[in-house]
Amino acid sequence: MTEAGVPPALRLAGLGKTFPSQAALRGVGLELQRGEVRALLGENGSGKSTLIKLLAGYHTPDAGWTAEADGVPFTLGNAEAAREAGLRFIHQDLGLVPELSVIDNLALGEDYVGRRWISPRREAAAAREALSRVGLDLNVHRAVRELTPGEQAGVTIARALRGGLDGTVLVLDEPTASLSGTEVDRLHKIVRRIRDSGGAVLYVTHRLGEVFEIADRVTVLRDGSEVADRRVSDLSHAELVRLVVGRDVDAVFSHAVASRRSVAFEAQDVCGEGLDNVSLTGYHGEILGVAGITGSGREELPYLLFGARRWHSGRLRIGDRSHNKMTVSAALRSGMAFAAADRQRESAIPLLTIRDNVMLSALPKGRAAWWVSLRSQRRDVEEWLERMGVRPPDPELPLASLSGGNQQRVVLARLLRSEPEVMLLEEPTRGVDIGAKAEIYRILTEVAAEGAAVVICSSDAEELALVCDRVLVLREGRVVAELENESLTEEAIVSHCVMEDQVSQP
Amino acid sequence: MSMTPSTHEPVALPDASVPAGEGEAPRGRRDTSHSIHARLSGIYIIALFIAIFAVWVPSTFLTTTTVQSILGSEAITAIIAIGLLFSLAAGQFDLSAGGMVGLSTVIVAWLTAQHGYSPESAIAIALAVGVAVGALNGLLVVGLGVHSFIATLGMSSVLIAITEKITGEEFITGVPSGITDIANPQPLGIPVLALYALVVAVVAWYVLEHTPAGRRLHAVGAGPEAARLAGVPTRKLAFASLIATSTIAALAGVFLAAEVGSASPDQGSAYLLPAFAAALLGSTQILPGRVNVAGTMVAIVLLAVGIKGLQLAGGAGWVTDMFNGVALMVAVSAANFAQVTRARRLLRQRRTRDRASGSPPEKIRRDHP
Repeated sequence: MTEAGVPPALRLAGLGKTFPSQAALRGVGLELQRGEVRALLGENGSGKSTLIKLLAGYHTPDAGWTAEADGVPFTLGNAEAAREAGLRFIHQDLGLVPELSVIDNLALGEDYVGRRWISPRREAAAAREALSRVGLDLNVHRAVRELTPGEQAGVTIARALRGGLDGTVLVLDEPTASLSGTEVDRLHKIVRRIRDSGGAVLYVTHRLGEVFEIADRVTVLRDGSEVADRRVSDLSHAELVRLVVGRDVDAVFSHAVASRRSVAFEAQDVCGEGLDNVSLTGYHGEILGVAGITGSGREELPYLLFGARRWHSGRLRIGDRSHNKMTVSAALRSGMAFAAADRQRESAIPLLTIRDNVMLSALPKGRAAWWVSLRSQRRDVEEWLERMGVRPPDPELPLASLSGGNQQRVVLARLLRSEPEVMLLEEPTRGVDIGAKAEIYRILTEVAAEGAAVVICSSDAEELALVCDRVLVLREGRVVAELENESLTEEAIVSHCVMEDQVSQP
Repeated sequence: MSMTPSTHEPVALPDASVPAGEGEAPRGRRDTSHSIHARLSGIYIIALFIAIFAVWVPSTFLTTTTVQSILGSEAITAIIAIGLLFSLAAGQFDLSAGGMVGLSTVIVAWLTAQHGYSPESAIAIALAVGVAVGALNGLLVVGLGVHSFIATLGMSSVLIAITEKITGEEFITGVPSGITDIANPQPLGIPVLALYALVVAVVAWYVLEHTPAGRRLHAVGAGPEAARLAGVPTRKLAFASLIATSTIAALAGVFLAAEVGSASPDQGSAYLLPAFAAALLGSTQILPGRVNVAGTMVAIVLLAVGIKGLQLAGGAGWVTDMFNGVALMVAVSAANFAQVTRARRLLRQRRTRDRASGSPPEKIRRDHP
């Protein structure tokens, strides 16, 4: 396993991190040899990102860790030390400052050319050179906010490799989430180049296919613990899935095919920020999925349908009314409910109690009251917590004290309390552990079976293939595929999501 | 598609080089995010004001006295505003800057006029208090995580209280010439305070735009999480920025004592709003979207010319505050509006460009052909 005499590029042992609400990582170890690409695999919430943030010095680990780079110990929990140990990072959300120029972003955490005098011309030349090394040509004075997701990813990669590609120890945290096929290929090429030049790469991903394509070894995390350290060539796809999920996938959730009933809403030629003439129809009793990479319009669609972003044109028929532009109040009136992906800011208020969060919902017509006693509120909320299986079922706890899965159940309770006709959900199981995931899928299936139209916008193709009756794939703001029945598979969703503009090698 | 492991040529991939910003300003130009006219709009407005008042009140407006009075009266506001830029860049509001100006003025006057301290030591003590107050703000904001708005609001009240305690709520007069001489000279007819302000501006411009620490300060304000992830010492920088703001406010207080030759218990607070107005209005100029020294100077002149003109045209005392407030609201609204419309236009451009480059042939990418 370890080449005799040569210390690994990176060795971690006894790495743990406890957050106030839960232990995110428990005593994990990891070895990364030079000339090796190691994948770090795990479900959402398995501790992958926490591990990377410990490495990057963003979090401080619990006591008892050791860390060595090429045999030399270095301090964790300190960004400067990680940098000096030769580690370079590409973070999940890419870690850029949108308002600043490409030049300033490239120099973030790295050095400017000038120390006492930063000359715009010299910095621009250096920035262009750094970009050209990863095959990018951009106006470096532009604010990063104005670049496409692919270009932004390029900037991050260029920053990590500013000191040169060869021999670097690079850590990538789910870098391909927002990339198209050619961009992914380009990144993989860079990763191989680093490996072949004597560098080492730790590659965090949740795409199993990527592991087989690029990694030599794989570490699998589950619930904050290491469950496997294996050579990729010794593994089959199914074995790897079993390692990640912890049981056979089929047992996780079995989906009863819903019976599609009448039309719940019909959107025609909707244009708005990120969307270009999108039409879709939702049916009562059906779970409709919306897939697409970042920037495809998937993230904008639910907001537009809910009237939370500006419409440029289009029409939405819901119930017996037809709107040529949507507003949130019109959406609520016509029985829509929406839970955004970001629980910390958009779909819930973490600092308020569970009760306050559930009570936020609009009540269906005829049920509003001028005065609601605290006691009846509690009774109402307790009933919902019971129904959703929230643990602990105490309405007065702050929402923030619950685990991700339980928070999401509270959000669902808030939505369901308004008895929605149409339920829009964005990333309903983000940051939710696997057990709670199955439970949430069960709730959603029930809701659909009772006649609501459920729309799930998700970046997780596996999830869409599992729970949805029908999936629309968005690309560049347009619907490019509608998958149903036999055609609805995880692979089909992914390939439609990343299909290329150019023909990529016949 | 397999890669042979032996390729060691630079990873320049032909399919990757998408020319950016096509059909827009040529590459190499500084900032293509905003039109040159938007960046200089403040200067146009200054020219317009001058033209209007030159016609309206020709006998009093176009005089050396007016110019001198504008330069002299705005120098202290300018210095405070420039000090605020440091903490604003780091995303912090220092509402105690006004209180610091007042305290510093009083310390200088009190020590020299009533306790016989030398001007040098009185000034040194005033500046040291500025550093200490900034460090205390930093401790509250960075160390304890109190929102800067709240922490410095409290600090402001404390500083005003200390000022009142020292003065016994009365004027301190009799500031020695060692202090007042600082503000007296008028080389080439220019009030020397304006030159001091210029020096402070140049130093601040150098630090904020041309040193790594200054550039990173903007990153701390605009994206603290990303900056921290990238290894920028965000806490240290935020702490230092609060010290800078407070110390520069103390310096402004020294100049105020020198200019007025006395100290009243409530002098400083009056400077807070105009200084904030100038700093924030300045963030819509020259380098729009971020607080910057050049923009702040434009804003100071714009506000001063407008106010002075209106005063000479017979405006009452309330004109000053009204003008500051309205100018700030109009400028920031206009800048926001411009940013939103620009973002929309960019999106449309990108989309039409994508469409022009041909619709995608439907072809599924296979990993292992």
